[in-house]
Amino acid sequence: MTDLQTPAEQAEATAALPETEASGPAATAAAAARSARPAGGQPVRLGLMGWLRWAWRQLTSMRTALILLFLLALASVPGSVLPQEGIDPAAVTQYYTAHPALAPLLNRLSLFDVFAAPWFAAIYLLLFTSLAGCVLPRTFRLVGSARQQPPRAPRNLARLPLTARFSTSLPPDEALAAAGRLLAGRRFRLRTGDGWVSAEKGYLREVGNLLFHIALLALLGSVALGGLFGYKANRLLVAGQTFVNQPTDLDVFHPGRLVGPGDLQPFAISLRSFTAKYITSGPEISDPASFSALLRYSSAGGTPSQPYNLQVNHPLRVDGVRVYLIGHGYAPVFKVTDGKGTVVFNGPVPFIPVSTNTMLSDGVIKVPDADPAQLGFAGVFVPTAVDIDGRVESAWPAALSPRVSLVPYAGNLGMNSGTPQSVYSLDTAGLHKLKVQPRALAPGQSLQLPDGYGRITFTGYRQWISLAITYDPGQVPALLSACTALAGLILSFLVRRRRLFVRATEGPNGTIVDLGGLARSDAAGGYETEFAELASQLCADQRGTAGEPAADQQGVPPAAADQAEPVSSDHDEALVEDEAE
Amino acid sequence: MQVNTGLANFSYAMVITALVLYALAMLAYACDFAFGKARLLATEPAAEPAAVKELVGVGASAAPAASPAAPVVNGAAEPPPAGRWPSGFWLRTAFGLTCSALGVQLIAILTRGLAEHRVPWGNMYEFICAITCMAVIVLVLISVKFRAYYIGLFVLLPVVLGLALDVTAVYTLAGPVAPALQSYWIAIHVTAMIIATGLFIVGAVVSVMYLVADRCQRRLAAGLPSKVEGIMAHLPSALVLDRLSYRTILFAFPVWTFGIMAGAIWADQAWGRYWGWDPKETWSFITWVVYAGFLHARATAGWRGRKAAWIQLAGFGCLMFNLIGVNLWITGLHSYAGLT
Ligand code: HEM
Repeated sequence: MTDLQTPAEQAEATAALPETEASGPAATAAAAARSARPAGGQPVRLGLMGWLRWAWRQLTSMRTALILLFLLALASVPGSVLPQEGIDPAAVTQYYTAHPALAPLLNRLSLFDVFAAPWFAAIYLLLFTSLAGCVLPRTFRLVGSARQQPPRAPRNLARLPLTARFSTSLPPDEALAAAGRLLAGRRFRLRTGDGWVSAEKGYLREVGNLLFHIALLALLGSVALGGLFGYKANRLLVAGQTFVNQPTDLDVFHPGRLVGPGDLQPFAISLRSFTAKYITSGPEISDPASFSALLRYSSAGGTPSQPYNLQVNHPLRVDGVRVYLIGHGYAPVFKVTDGKGTVVFNGPVPFIPVSTNTMLSDGVIKVPDADPAQLGFAGVFVPTAVDIDGRVESAWPAALSPRVSLVPYAGNLGMNSGTPQSVYSLDTAGLHKLKVQPRALAPGQSLQLPDGYGRITFTGYRQWISLAITYDPGQVPALLSACTALAGLILSFLVRRRRLFVRATEGPNGTIVDLGGLARSDAAGGYETEFAELASQLCADQRGTAGEPAADQQGVPPAAADQAEPVSSDHDEALVEDEAE
Repeated sequence: MQVNTGLANFSYAMVITALVLYALAMLAYACDFAFGKARLLATEPAAEPAAVKELVGVGASAAPAASPAAPVVNGAAEPPPAGRWPSGFWLRTAFGLTCSALGVQLIAILTRGLAEHRVPWGNMYEFICAITCMAVIVLVLISVKFRAYYIGLFVLLPVVLGLALDVTAVYTLAGPVAPALQSYWIAIHVTAMIIATGLFIVGAVVSVMYLVADRCQRRLAAGLPSKVEGIMAHLPSALVLDRLSYRTILFAFPVWTFGIMAGAIWADQAWGRYWGWDPKETWSFITWVVYAGFLHARATAGWRGRKAAWIQLAGFGCLMFNLIGVNLWITGLHSYAGLT
């Protein structure tokens, strides 16, 4: 039985607490205190080992696990309420502007990165240490007890939660043998003694429970594996372009702790075309209906390139890496001729959608090579332009009548200042705005810049997609661990560990057979039915007659056995064990 | 594909019909409490201290009240509830109404799905409709299996409230779902979450009943009056309620675990990571951890009983916050509730 106990419960048990009611927080503390002090109440020096042992026992107690579980739940809450660095960095920046006083304070407490915070790690590492400390010894004990026998039958079966009695004409030893045969047939583990048989079943429950907890440890290990050896990256890819999976060719690269630049799988992907379909009626009108990106990719092994239709929910798998479609937008194509008449820029510029429903997009064009001055443009791309009171608005997310409106700047773009610049924003500190008539350009139309700065032409548009690239070697282990955990959980819930004791004694009118039953970990109930069924089966086997319970005992006739209430408390366990030892 | 508006309207009418029938069923359950004979409806015998025995009308116990852990023999003073099916006019009416309402609601869900050519749990309206339906399925199954017809009134109360809110404030017109939701994983992941939620709802309701019954029993045992004594006469002992609630959770927890796993697999397909601490993910994790805490509490001396019940209710609070609060107040990748 002890293999069902946590170390702390054992500590309580060895402290010889007579009553379960005395267990619980106070009692554990008391038990610990008792083990630390002699009876006189004088504190003794525990010594380092003593303290360590005490701390370990505290850590691996069920109560600590319970408290740590709640702490874990509680600690997760701010992660869902406050914006998180790892999920939405832009929202964190917004929070800083909205709450300038509060934000730095929250930041110091890692509240914008809760799930990577040291205190969060402390909680789950403690929890998993507790788990390991609790589960590993139990596993060894379970393995050790693989051939362990059930406990001896208690002397007074009537004190068990389930009881039954019948009388038979068979002599006691034959009655016991018959009972043993039936129980062995039901795959009970048996132990026989003088005038009694005890039987136990349901060891798989402990197996399931341990499997579950160990699988949780394995799950944490798998997550760590992914964190160390995996990586995440993002790449924006305009139709017609190709990129290679190398750190220098990626927009965003988050390597795991042990990933170097050379560890990436250098496959190449090019985007042929992208199609978005939108819902044309109903309340979700203009919401996206489907996305499809036609790619060609060649794996790092140098195989010839292959086509792939990339869609949401259908990632591309190449060289163990997965590539996801996570966004799309428009990249208007511009040609810029400077004051000297040289074409200093010609190509697509990805614009970022401001609204997903209309795909109205913002973007910036930087022309550092223009003469006599560097040029910059802040632009808005409108896929389906309509004129509302003289203002250009976007009416539809697809590009039915694309227009671009531009605000030109000249001067110094500030690109050599040393601080890295975003390609999506213009640093206007060194620039001055050029005065032009505001105008929406259609494809092919140009904007003539004043003062001899040159000319910009909107030549057309392309689509772009953004790709998320992830490599996670812990993924398959994580899935296997999770499945094992679930299987263990179900096993431990389905099986209940239960005992049945039989005593046969010579009576005045034949043999009296007493049965007693006890289920450990049966808080949900249910053993009474099986017990009643077994009791009536035994009675029928031995052609017995249901006996009246003796006046001093509260036996139950088999037919009524299912009326009795099993109370599976530690108290009853103790009861059986006390009498058995 | 075009939404079949006629069918969608029919579905809505069916939901309203189901709502009315549920309300009537509640009324009938209440009438059973008011006019029906006070009887122990539970299949499970009571093993409670003598004071409680008198309360639930199972007198004549042979057990000495001194030791609560000692086996109690049910002295056959009252026969166990006969038969699997409900007895008494009001109870039969109530159960019949519940079953018919359930049938109507199932038709409503089916036709909504047919009208939209997809699994009908793509937004909050459909989700609430499905979980209330699941709660009633659990109610019916438990009523029959454990002859626990006494929980009907209390389970239907949140069902009726939830469904009433659903058809008014939350209602969303039939339509297709976003590309991110177009995957067969919606059928697996969301269905598991719906089943688990239905079970958790019933578990929480019975847990509240347990807490009330337990308080009533303790007051009566201490010689104090209790306001709910009248209703309690129709209910089994606190112990039986506690176990019933625990059994529901034992069923719900693995289903919820599976649902989270399926969600992680889906997230991996759709978003490129199996776990990203999105608010919905975070709250289903919190819910899972609190219910795991509940299971541990049941196995920890000093935490069983009332404390464990409160933990379960805290877990249920997290579940409800995930369903309502996260959809309304927190934006994340899961913000597809169809609410604006
Ligand atoms: C990551 C942390 C943990 C989680 C998520 C977790 C989860 C669970 C769950 C869901 C159960 C119910 C399964 C069952 O009853 O068979 C359970 C049971 C159990 N856990 Fe844990 N556990 C954790 C840590 C621990 C720790 C640290 C201990 C040791 C102190 C522990 C000891 C037990 C025991 C003894 C049971 C069996 C309870 C029973 O017989 O009903 N667990 N755990």
